[in-house]
Amino acid sequence: MIMKQLLLSISILCLSGNLFAQDSLTIGQNAPEISLSDIDGTAFTLTSLKGKVVLIDFWASWCAPCMKEQPELKNLYEKFIDSVKADKFEIVGVSLDKDRENWKKGVKRFKTEWVHVSDLLFWKSPIAKDYKLEGLPYNVLIDENGVIIAINLHGNELENAIQNHFNKKEE
Amino acid sequence: MLILSIGPDAIIKGSVDIGPTNDSKNLKKLKNYLKKVSKEKEIVIYCGCCPFDKCPNIRPAFTALKDAGFKNSKLLNLPKNIKVDWIDKGYPVKE
Repeated sequence: MIMKQLLLSISILCLSGNLFAQDSLTIGQNAPEISLSDIDGTAFTLTSLKGKVVLIDFWASWCAPCMKEQPELKNLYEKFIDSVKADKFEIVGVSLDKDRENWKKGVKRFKTEWVHVSDLLFWKSPIAKDYKLEGLPYNVLIDENGVIIAINLHGNELENAIQNHFNKKEE
Repeated sequence: MLILSIGPDAIIKGSVDIGPTNDSKNLKKLKNYLKKVSKEKEIVIYCGCCPFDKCPNIRPAFTALKDAGFKNSKLLNLPKNIKVDWIDKGYPVKE
């Protein structure tokens, strides 16, 4: 009887541990769905981009390091513009902004022309929970099937990861 | 105790939404708000957007509190952000 109770409490402990675990995403798993409105108010889903390599960039206009990275991402987008035009690559900017005007200003400032989505819920956004965000900037690179192939790479490392993926496809 | 949000959103239940104090408009709002408050009042400010060294809102708000003579003012310890250090811990949030 005591043993039974002990086992039960251990399993409850394990279960509650799992419930509250904030482990991060892993390479090889499917990217959680993103179903949000874009900057014009049109409904967007991540799965609608199936068939493309997608860089999901988590940012906000209030996040200084994110704003610093936007011109770098713009350069990256320009480098892969042929792939964008061939429907093989896209960037989705998921903003954790709270204020719509600030979000729009942030997008306008660098004229970033990729997909921009947000629920304007700041850190309360369910997407922050789904992607287990612990800080910004943060990004996830997914392949044509929506499988995560890189997590939180920046600068040259990020560019190489995208290029390597395309090279592998050509082989 | 008075809890003031000086960041993008007043997530903590019962807190007053001042707005990000790196914006001069919101800093003015804070200063005006403080005019009605007793200097002895315990005041806790928080932002929670980013780690402290990356936060643009804390310094102007804290300076305003000190300059206005609030001796009992404190900064809430949210080392990473309001999600990790408050929401994920299940602490009370505004609906």
